[in-house]
Amino acid sequence: MITKKWAATGMSLVMAASLTACSTAPTSNSGTGSGQTATTEGGKEVIELKMGQFGSTGYEKLAEEYMKDHPNVKIQISTSDFNDHHNNLFTAISAGSGAPDIAMVEVGFIEKYRGAQDRFVNLYEMGAKDLQSNYLDWKWSVGESADHSFLFGLPTDIGPTVMYYRTDIFEAAGLPSDPEKVAEQIKTWDDFANAARTIKEKTGKPMTDNVELIYNALRDQAPEMYFDRANNLIVEKNPAMKKAYDYTAKLIQDGVLGNLALWTPEWGAAMADGGYATLLGASWMQGNIKGNAPDAKGKWAITQMPEGAGNWGGSYLVITKESKHPKEAYEFIKWITSPDNQYKSFLDQGLFPSATAVYDESKFKDYTDEYFGGQHTAQIMSEAAKKVKNVYYGENFSIVQGEILKALQNVQSKKSDPEQEWSEAIARVKQQLERK
Amino acid sequence: MSVIERNTQTMPVRTKPGRWMTEARKDMVFGYLSISPFFILFAIFGLFPMLFSFYLAFQKFSGIGEMRYVGWQNFRFIIEDPLFWKSIYNTLIMGLLGTAPQILVGMVLAYALNSALIRFKSFFRVAFFMPYVTSILAVAIVFSVIFSNQPSGLMNTLLGVFGVGPISWNTSEWGVKVAISTMVFWRWLGYNTIIFLAGLQSIPNDLYEAARIDGASTRQQIWYITLPLLKPVILFTTFLSTIGAWQLFVEPLVFFGRLGDVGEEGMTVVLYLYREAFRNNAFGTASATAVLLFFIIIVFTVLNYVLTNRTGRAGQLGKAARAAKKRGEAV
Repeated sequence: MITKKWAATGMSLVMAASLTACSTAPTSNSGTGSGQTATTEGGKEVIELKMGQFGSTGYEKLAEEYMKDHPNVKIQISTSDFNDHHNNLFTAISAGSGAPDIAMVEVGFIEKYRGAQDRFVNLYEMGAKDLQSNYLDWKWSVGESADHSFLFGLPTDIGPTVMYYRTDIFEAAGLPSDPEKVAEQIKTWDDFANAARTIKEKTGKPMTDNVELIYNALRDQAPEMYFDRANNLIVEKNPAMKKAYDYTAKLIQDGVLGNLALWTPEWGAAMADGGYATLLGASWMQGNIKGNAPDAKGKWAITQMPEGAGNWGGSYLVITKESKHPKEAYEFIKWITSPDNQYKSFLDQGLFPSATAVYDESKFKDYTDEYFGGQHTAQIMSEAAKKVKNVYYGENFSIVQGEILKALQNVQSKKSDPEQEWSEAIARVKQQLERK
Repeated sequence: MSVIERNTQTMPVRTKPGRWMTEARKDMVFGYLSISPFFILFAIFGLFPMLFSFYLAFQKFSGIGEMRYVGWQNFRFIIEDPLFWKSIYNTLIMGLLGTAPQILVGMVLAYALNSALIRFKSFFRVAFFMPYVTSILAVAIVFSVIFSNQPSGLMNTLLGVFGVGPISWNTSEWGVKVAISTMVFWRWLGYNTIIFLAGLQSIPNDLYEAARIDGASTRQQIWYITLPLLKPVILFTTFLSTIGAWQLFVEPLVFFGRLGDVGEEGMTVVLYLYREAFRNNAFGTASATAVLLFFIIIVFTVLNYVLTNRTGRAGQLGKAARAAKKRGEAV
């Protein structure tokens, strides 16, 4: 037991030392929890809850509101950078000390924390089953353990993916530019490939920014990805993944895909001057487009992707095992992720709701955006959200994803053989999976 | 604690028998307490994690969950991984490209700054040092624009003037290395220049005066006085640069932007271990890589020492010059 304690402490120190940005390295493992205290105020017990989050959620305002109605609960929200937040939480989980009562966890990190199920409160034991029908099935399911018996977190926002496209490029290529007509013309991925060839021929511009988002779009529409629910690697046996890979490789070889890596300055600049025809991005990409291309108002439009939709991003609120007041914490996250409050968060910060009832709210349905030619953006996204497949990612998802993307990037930059690259990528995946 | 006790026993200042806390002891305890914050913090955040890495290198550990002892398996995994060897090769090449010119150019710049010919010395000193204190993120953005893959990128346009085709700076074997080495060179040149400058300024002027009286040319002065007396500084910067070169991490990471975009052309040893730990959650193999890197750095530092110690005639004369200086002072 002592050695285990030391090991955990050591682990947290190794990580603290290697992550310069890691600010709260737990150095003791004495089990004092996360420092919540129950003080008495006017004869009444006041419960303090600590919550860690990232980004701008506007939850502080909601917490104020909650505290007004619940004078016995005090909620402290601390916000940090996306990576710092998740790395710190990982360290705290690993060490078994230093985690807040409530933490916001992005969907990709839900996968990474899967191995530490015992460090979280099973929300099914708190009665969360009753809430399930409020939320999108696929979103709920990602927050569960592989066997559906354990619930890590309650859903907050999501990132349904759609097709953003440049109306000017579509027009120049002689394609329709009206969102409904575009959706009709590009119904299947074959249509998409044809449109890509036309655009390349007529305008010389690539269809997409890079190889990543087009591959992801096809990947997200498959019923299964890289691992099955028993965590076996099934990527080789899964024809859908090879199909997505082959499709992307074919477009690369046809020369119709761009090579602007995500988040680079050039990628952003090309958004402004129409360097590519489509961007297969999530709902939150609206903000990036507006930010990178403030003068391209009316040139970007939104329509559904061919053959379905996917999800990119979004989070959950989890309760850690360290919490001394899981009941009160649960009441709070249940309240803040409720349809009513998701609606408020949407209006306030644009967090895209995962609670389906919000999609029928009038202000949601009627929400239009002048930048995107007055389209009903929220409503379009909600349609995409309903089409997302319920898939299991698995905790080693990022390893496989990284190596397959590497293979596609090699096909593009080195003009190497896609089959060769695929089998090398699979070999690298297996080699890395062996190590953990 | 035991160190303190042992030391106190050898102290012969026990004036009042029976009283343990003598004045001398008080001073000593005070001294140790004064320096203790560093040692305590270092032990917790420096020494312990380092030692723990050695322990982790023999475990299979995903960061969460149980550790399992696996013997030398982690080392075998790494040694059999061609990407690890590729990362060693890359780090070596980028180290050579990035740091060797740094030391040569740094020395020349320092010499120029130290000479009487240049005006606005403090301006140049600050200007050369500027890149070192510039935010690495800003540097990365600027360099990713300069070394853009697009034919319209700054460097590609420049090369186009000379008829060299557009280079894919992000993905080609040498493009990546040249781009990152340039970044390292630019960022660390000023730092080395300032150290060399300090070294040059510590060489007493009377040595040059004596040499001039004896009829030594400028070249002879540099060769027989400046370089030999600068040797400790050269040794110091070479050590630091070598260690720094092996730890190359931030520059390639920010140049590529995302860990996932780092191809095998730009994979350095530290990036490799970082990826093991923080993408793959394989802390055992990551630690094993760190341990191997530790020994590589030791080998290279020793090699450096041996090589710089054998600088032949110049080194011998350096000793002679220092001896002469000492004699001069004694008189």
